[in-house]
Amino acid sequence: MALAGCSSGRQSIVEPASKPSHDIAVLWWWMLGAAAIVFFGAVALLVIAYFKRGARGLPFFGEREGVAEGMVVMFGVAIPIVALVALFGVSNIYLIGESSPPKSGTTAMTIQVIGHQWWWEVRYPGTGVVTANEIHVPIHTRVNVIVTTDDVIHSFWVPELNRKIDMIPGYRNRILLDGSRLGEFRGQCAEYCGFQHAHMSFEVFVQRPAVFHRWLAGQERPPVPASSATAQAGERVFMTSQCESCHTIAGTPAQGTIGPNLTHLASRVGLAAEQIPNNPKELAAWIRNPQAIKPGTRMPDLGLSSTQIGQLVAYLDSLR
Amino acid sequence: MTGTSGEPVPLGRAAVPPGVPPSVHRARQRQAAPNGIWGMVLFLCAEITLFGTIIGSYYYLDFNSVHWPQAGIAPEPVAQPSLATAWLVVTLLPIWWANRQAHRGRRESAIEWILFALAVQAGYLAFQIHLYINDFHHFQPQHSAYGSIYYTLMTLDHAHVAFGLALDLVLIVRLATKGLSNYWLIGVRGLAIYWYVVVAITVIVLFVQLTPSL
Amino acid sequence: MATVVTPRGEEYVERLERVWKPRPGLVGWLTTTDHKRIGILYFFTTLLFFGAGGVEALLIRTQLIGPNGHVLSPQAFDEVFTMHGITMIFLFVIPMTTGAFGNYLLPLMIGARDMAFPRMNAVSYWIFLGSGIFMYVGMVTGHAPNAGWFDYVPLASKTYSPSSNIDFYGWGLIFNGISSTAASVNFIVTIFKMRAPGMSLNRMPLFCYAFLAAAFSLLFALPALSCATLFLELDRQLGFHFYDTAHGGNPLLWQNLFWIFGHPEVYIIILPAFGIATSIIPTFTHRRMVFFPLVALSEVLVAFLGFGVWAHHMFAVGFATITTIYFAAVSLIIVIPSAIQLFAWIATILTGKPDFKTPLLFIVGFIVWFIMGGLSGITLAAIPFDQQVTDSYYVVAHFHMVIFGAAVYPILGGMHYWFPKVTGRMYNEAVGKLSFWLTFLGTLLTFFPMHIVGLVGMPRRNYTYPANMGWTGLNFTETIGAYILASGLVLIVLNLFISRFRGEPSQDPFHGDTLEWATTSPPPHYNFAVIPTVTTPYNMYDEKDREHDNVRLDRGEGVLATGHETPATTAQDGALDEVLEMPSYSWWPPIVGLLLACFFAMLLVAHWWIAAGFFVLGLLALFAWHNQEPSDT
Repeated sequence: MALAGCSSGRQSIVEPASKPSHDIAVLWWWMLGAAAIVFFGAVALLVIAYFKRGARGLPFFGEREGVAEGMVVMFGVAIPIVALVALFGVSNIYLIGESSPPKSGTTAMTIQVIGHQWWWEVRYPGTGVVTANEIHVPIHTRVNVIVTTDDVIHSFWVPELNRKIDMIPGYRNRILLDGSRLGEFRGQCAEYCGFQHAHMSFEVFVQRPAVFHRWLAGQERPPVPASSATAQAGERVFMTSQCESCHTIAGTPAQGTIGPNLTHLASRVGLAAEQIPNNPKELAAWIRNPQAIKPGTRMPDLGLSSTQIGQLVAYLDSLR
Repeated sequence: MTGTSGEPVPLGRAAVPPGVPPSVHRARQRQAAPNGIWGMVLFLCAEITLFGTIIGSYYYLDFNSVHWPQAGIAPEPVAQPSLATAWLVVTLLPIWWANRQAHRGRRESAIEWILFALAVQAGYLAFQIHLYINDFHHFQPQHSAYGSIYYTLMTLDHAHVAFGLALDLVLIVRLATKGLSNYWLIGVRGLAIYWYVVVAITVIVLFVQLTPSL
Repeated sequence: MATVVTPRGEEYVERLERVWKPRPGLVGWLTTTDHKRIGILYFFTTLLFFGAGGVEALLIRTQLIGPNGHVLSPQAFDEVFTMHGITMIFLFVIPMTTGAFGNYLLPLMIGARDMAFPRMNAVSYWIFLGSGIFMYVGMVTGHAPNAGWFDYVPLASKTYSPSSNIDFYGWGLIFNGISSTAASVNFIVTIFKMRAPGMSLNRMPLFCYAFLAAAFSLLFALPALSCATLFLELDRQLGFHFYDTAHGGNPLLWQNLFWIFGHPEVYIIILPAFGIATSIIPTFTHRRMVFFPLVALSEVLVAFLGFGVWAHHMFAVGFATITTIYFAAVSLIIVIPSAIQLFAWIATILTGKPDFKTPLLFIVGFIVWFIMGGLSGITLAAIPFDQQVTDSYYVVAHFHMVIFGAAVYPILGGMHYWFPKVTGRMYNEAVGKLSFWLTFLGTLLTFFPMHIVGLVGMPRRNYTYPANMGWTGLNFTETIGAYILASGLVLIVLNLFISRFRGEPSQDPFHGDTLEWATTSPPPHYNFAVIPTVTTPYNMYDEKDREHDNVRLDRGEGVLATGHETPATTAQDGALDEVLEMPSYSWWPPIVGLLLACFFAMLLVAHWWIAAGFFVLGLLALFAWHNQEPSDT
């Protein structure tokens, strides 16, 4: 998967991959054009002022005060009113429907995302699928994403698919995901939420329906019991070293809800909210010293030996 | 450029007539309100805005709650707080009269009327504190957001009344010892304006307090 | 261009010198009620805080020069960016414009001898100083506020911020707010009641309109912040539940209250800058401001409309669409008075004979950045676009353009323009121009790329960022820009500092258009030997009036030398109403400031009864203060 680090998805507002973000990007380019005209026009006036600084009044118009006042009224009132009304109409009356929360009954599927300090819990209601830091959706499908938080305010933002929406305690906000391009798109928390706000990212996979359903089915299946001896030893380490007090692995005694669900950890592209790629080496480093990778994270240093970590990694790597 | 008693006289103004305290004469000559009154009015604008935001917060929490009051707290009984507030409103009369007397130069009369108002206002405050303590036995601010906003609003209102009592006292002492100087004549007028506004706020706070009961 | 003094007039001047003589040395500064000394105290204190905020900015930029930086830990970064915002807004820009420029210049511009409430003016300074020290004690003890300058809950609640960091913020801002509230009352009464007789409202300089609008905004906006922070501290210290959902509270209550203050705050920041610009432009273009009444009206309108737009900071919160549409509409309407002023300034420069000396250069820079920041602001009123870019570096670019580019540049220009007035010396013009270009280049390189890096997805308040996002080059440029900017600012300070001692003596080098130039540079303690005659706007340009001053001084008319006297006038027409006695020095302002600082310190450490004791002592000090009538001193 992502050898070059977990930033394989891009996060640019001007590289849209859905209709809402496309419309917003187009709006941006028009606004930029208009703004550039105004800006350079005004700068031109200042440059003219510099070059004609020896003489009063204006070229052509002379010193009549009415001309200067007319300039103020035209550029300060008349033209702005027209431009601003046009902007208002296009963006806040016409386009706003696109980026508003989807009306109930207009979406084909629902996902819940719950923000935590500093990771994302993702649930697929009706299926029992719970994962973390990754969202998979089928292409050209209107998905209703319901967001809330378990602790402080976060903000769900995947710029290439739509605008951001805040995740506020006690509120269930909604946003539409409707990918029009296959790919992997990066999202990041966009409301300052504490020490590791900078390291709270997630990936959205827009997939062909068949691929998506295969993924979903894989997530619904309970994990295959650990086969190798190392992995089985790792399972024992997991269940006896406090891991189970924070994490859930379906079908095992581990039912903790403080940290991410690890049931299909090995199927994910990244760890620690997409801060490091998901491979045995990085996973071992994370378990050995989470504070070195993500200072302030809630994951404690468990004080495990290298052997134990090796076994644990083997076990977690088997959770596909 | 100074008048007969050493107080500066504005350019081109008449001298102080006999029997009229210089401060009263000066007050009569002014066309605009003195700076101290402007200051008091502007300070009160800030206080009104402060109460406005607290009352706004009360209704914000109310409209965003399913039940109000929350957590099973019983609505306030209407009678006692209303009577108490009516009592406070009535004290505006002696305050207004005291200000009028001061501006006629009648210092002792002004002191007496402020003293009278002070006594009644103190009685009001004591009764309100009694009701407050009663409320406290039924629910605390740490109970719910309703409790938090309720007690904050009531405490701030009572604090403003208490501050008014302190101002009453200061005026009484100063008028008695320093006399009806320009500074303290403006002070009496400022005191009156303070009470008009604080009592008006108290009436509004009463309505807010009784919102669940109305 | 000071008044010409005849031998007869000399007698009056000598009397004024005697009456207005301050106490010597440190005691004189501690007990001062002289608006000029208070302005100077504010100036140096805010300059120090500007330096602190600047160091914080450089730390942020150095940490972000490349991906995965290790200059600051995440905990340190959070404290630094929070303190950067708090320092720049509450401890630099507002006290610099209102406390330094406003205090020093306003009475001079309106022909008065002091502010309406000189002792309250002094206590505003001491409270400001106390609040700044209070918050920096937090930084020095490793407990600086760290939840951002807007400190959203629940992050700032006791649950998620258990240490005292947030308490330095909460109590500190209430403390600071008292200073600004007192200052705003002082400004409003001074502007309305203390103008020279004859200065009706339509003859008042635009600077005064701008400061009047800012003062009214401050007065009505601060209570919302005080309310919000009071609720926060009650939640944190006493277990109240304003903001916590589990007990019926609402975290959005904080955001609404905060921004009801926060948006007018940004107009409070920029209005004085408009005032400085409208003082510099007529002087350096040798003509009156185009459409003066419309400009004055626009300044007031901006302040008023600024109260109706706050939720445009909350477009991503999940409001009903109709609510967002209302706020976007008002946010667009407010563009009009700003655009009017902008084109009035440009028209004035265009139709006058501009002399592009350092002060005017900074104003041209201000105009350029104000247009850029204003345009990005307009784009933010397009709700779907705002919902993409809010909380990204695009917004950081926008507000730095308007706050740094548009509010600070006039401060820098004003520092040069009024330098001769305050010091009696001229700064070095060549160095001034160089410092302008360095600052301009630095501003461009630091803040322009932020628009781009925000559009390509970089969120704000991130202590670091990964490589391969397309953000590295832009961040690198911004950091270089920040260092260039810092060098420009340092050069300004050096120029002014050295010129203070070695500059050419200078009284009125630019032929300023307002009354502060009618007296000597620096002004005497009593400001004017004779209260100026005013019969027209652009008071300094009225030669008949200035001649008449000489005549009146000779006759002793309007000298008011019996005590510390200054005239009070009616609010609208400026007709003489009475002569006021002003206090000349008092120990009570610093004492009240100190007691208030102790009060807040005790609240911080939750010693409630001791705090109450200090509060009572403070009230007693206020009583003693009012015991000392102005005519006594």
